[in-house]
Amino acid sequence: MARAETLIAPQTNLVERIKNFINAELINILAAILFLLLAVFLLYPIFAVLIKSIKGPQGFTLSYYIKFFIKGYYFRSLLNTLTLGFINTAVCLVVGFCMAYLTTRGPLALRKPFKIISMMPLIAPPYLFAISLIILFGHNGIMTKAFGIKWSLYGFTGVVVAQTLAFIPLAYLMIENTLKSLNPNLEESAYDLGASEVRIIRTITIPLLAPGILKAGLLVFVMTIAEFGNAAILGGRTPFLAPDTYMMIIGEADFEMGSVLSVVLIIPCIIIFFLHNYMLTGKKFTTIGGKPVASEPRKITPFVQIPFLLISCTAGLAIIISFAMVLAASFTKILGINNQIVLTHIKNFNSNLAILNSIKVSLVAALIGAIIGTLLAYVIVRGKFFGRSFIEMISLSGFALPGTVIGIGYLLAFNNPPIKLTGGIMILALNCVFRFLAVGVEAGISKLHQINIEIEEASSDLGANFMTTFYRIVLPLMFPAFIAGFIYTFMTTIVSLSAVVFLVSPGFELAAVRIFDAAVYGEIGIASATTMKLVVIVIICMVILNYITKKTGFDISPKKGV
Amino acid sequence: MKGRFALVVLVSILFTAIMMSDGYAQTVRVYMGLSPENNVKVVDFVKAKTGIQILQTFQSFGEIEAKVKSEAPNFNADMVTGCGSPLAFMSKKNKWAVPYDSPAWKGISSEFADPDRYWFNMSNFTFVLVGNKDKFKEKGYTLPKSWKELLDPKWKDQIVMPNPLSSGTANMMRYTFLALYGEEEGWKFMEALDKNIHHYTRSGNAPTDLVGRGEFLLGITSHENVKKRMDEGYPLIWSIPDEGTGYDGTFAFIFPGTKMMDACKKVIDAFGTQEFSKMMAELGYVTPRPAPNALFGDKSLKYVKLDLGWAADNRPKWNDIWKEKFRTEAK
Repeated sequence: MARAETLIAPQTNLVERIKNFINAELINILAAILFLLLAVFLLYPIFAVLIKSIKGPQGFTLSYYIKFFIKGYYFRSLLNTLTLGFINTAVCLVVGFCMAYLTTRGPLALRKPFKIISMMPLIAPPYLFAISLIILFGHNGIMTKAFGIKWSLYGFTGVVVAQTLAFIPLAYLMIENTLKSLNPNLEESAYDLGASEVRIIRTITIPLLAPGILKAGLLVFVMTIAEFGNAAILGGRTPFLAPDTYMMIIGEADFEMGSVLSVVLIIPCIIIFFLHNYMLTGKKFTTIGGKPVASEPRKITPFVQIPFLLISCTAGLAIIISFAMVLAASFTKILGINNQIVLTHIKNFNSNLAILNSIKVSLVAALIGAIIGTLLAYVIVRGKFFGRSFIEMISLSGFALPGTVIGIGYLLAFNNPPIKLTGGIMILALNCVFRFLAVGVEAGISKLHQINIEIEEASSDLGANFMTTFYRIVLPLMFPAFIAGFIYTFMTTIVSLSAVVFLVSPGFELAAVRIFDAAVYGEIGIASATTMKLVVIVIICMVILNYITKKTGFDISPKKGV
Repeated sequence: MKGRFALVVLVSILFTAIMMSDGYAQTVRVYMGLSPENNVKVVDFVKAKTGIQILQTFQSFGEIEAKVKSEAPNFNADMVTGCGSPLAFMSKKNKWAVPYDSPAWKGISSEFADPDRYWFNMSNFTFVLVGNKDKFKEKGYTLPKSWKELLDPKWKDQIVMPNPLSSGTANMMRYTFLALYGEEEGWKFMEALDKNIHHYTRSGNAPTDLVGRGEFLLGITSHENVKKRMDEGYPLIWSIPDEGTGYDGTFAFIFPGTKMMDACKKVIDAFGTQEFSKMMAELGYVTPRPAPNALFGDKSLKYVKLDLGWAADNRPKWNDIWKEKFRTEAK
């Protein structure tokens, strides 16, 4: 008997010890796993692109880079891309600010409609605007024929207009978010003290908004130079980096030159990302007075209101007309040529299948993304290990990386064993997970900062182990962040094109890719119909998700767009 | 707590329901480069004939070639059903195809079936000039009778043609011009033509739609969709200039390492039947087994003399020259 006891004792001890070890180190283990995931699915693909761009058939070489800078074509492409990025960012920020100012400070009657209009493009693929511009202003477009407009749509200006319309909502959303959280009392006091509206905006609103504007600018810039749908459809022979990269990889299997273009594309993004991080440190404003209170709308002086309204209405009208055109095109045979009403585009079976696939991929991505995002936020805020800020930086960097580069990186990194993912659904979901991770992580971090660590400490003091505390205290408190990450990932994944276009395999076509192909190909009817179906489905999904979360009593205020 | 449980259950039910919703009896994944509509026709034909479901996404010939090259030897598909001659010959050479002595392809000429049975040419297609009838009337233009007429400055920025890097149709055009005028003169012709081209499209059928919608006046395009678009009511006219046109095949072959070998073989067999030739001819293709052609009728086409095998070997060189000539300065 005694013998048996001594045999059992160390064993239970061991189990106990492992248990204790896990319990004590769980957060570090978690951190290690998460870091490994980030390294494999975010850093490694980018590294693969970098390597490919300097590796020729005979060892390492810089010849591809030399070619890039010698050939006027490529340099022109870089110049166009950057110009496009800057123009777009500036315009989007101005329009976004005007709209956000009106919806948060302007007349009450205007707030709701403006908000809905400016959110509309968010649920549609960005190249919807290329389609509607062709319908309206193409060489045989409705407006062209009606008014004899001599605007050459195919080229730089066409791309700028389409991209601007597509990314206004992004700028709007982020600026509006910050504007809402600003305490209007500050502005009101200034107003009461007799400052003019212009002066208030210049000296109070904009400086306080700076972090939000900066971030919106960064995001719009990166999205503009990486999103190639509009440029590929409307660019004609004007070269841009993203569509050229796409053409080189997909059309020519010229991976070396494609990688060089990717690296060139990524450099401005990284510079801006670091600039943004650097400028934000020590610039975190807290407006005094805690929670913002809903204030009576102040009367805005016509001097400000009229230009703001003018800008907002022009943009709003353009967005509405674009959607109307696409809606009309999806129900007519060939809009503008043969306006017979047909349902063939809507009933196109292939595009329905593609939409189903898109929903699948987006659900998977949203679930994984929300889980990883929540865990990452927890590790970043509560962990006490070396390299915490490094993990934070990497997990937030995803949105500063152009989708095309990630797509090519995944193609290069995961086509061969040991990690062979191409040809499956996971590779489509995973690249979106890691690109759109930032939102979930940020939502989680800000949520956790609101929760006092004492609650968790109390729980463990009362004898609960780490798992119990995490499950019973942390998870419920973080649920809104989880939902925010879920919804954001879902919505962005379902309309995103720039990365997945490199990764789709036969039999698993995605709606976004189908629309792009149809639009490039000239099948405006199918492209429009698929877009419309996608928009409707995204709206339905949003309503269901909202309903579920409301029903189950979770307050969610999804901080979309960040 | 209860609410959350309900939420979890709901979400997981939704999830499994959506994930379970696929699953065909027997499927093959293929790379397929006909026009999107004709892809679907072939898929439906194979499904009706053999019960095998083909899963495909539309890609241009050049894109399929790029994909196969980048994936080799780990292919993400089971076979190719519709690619250009360069990839077919390259695959035979590199053993990216497995030979199959299909009984259905007995007695078919070596233009359509590889003597060693590595590849099978489903049918030939060709390229034509298309113009927009309405716009021509407006301007008083007629379709050019000779390829050289395309160089007339009146067409400046009004012609669209596909890009030979990504499109098999354009690869065939390029080779045809080189074969017609000789290498040196051929390149000179294309450089002169380039001045009138608005832009090069990704796929070989795109010019048909662009011209049909009146975006551009004239297109050099694959014949594949021309008849269909005319039937649909697009104001299109087409012609082949007097010097003749070129052709290329739409090739099928099986990738080594496929797990669906039997199904792939059945698909190849289906392509060898008279019914398949009949269907393809109705779409305007020139088929392995003779069948009445819907687009060209009894007219036998005038072809420029081509050697597809030789052209396939020269494709990389010509691609480099093309990039060198047309991708140096932005227009």
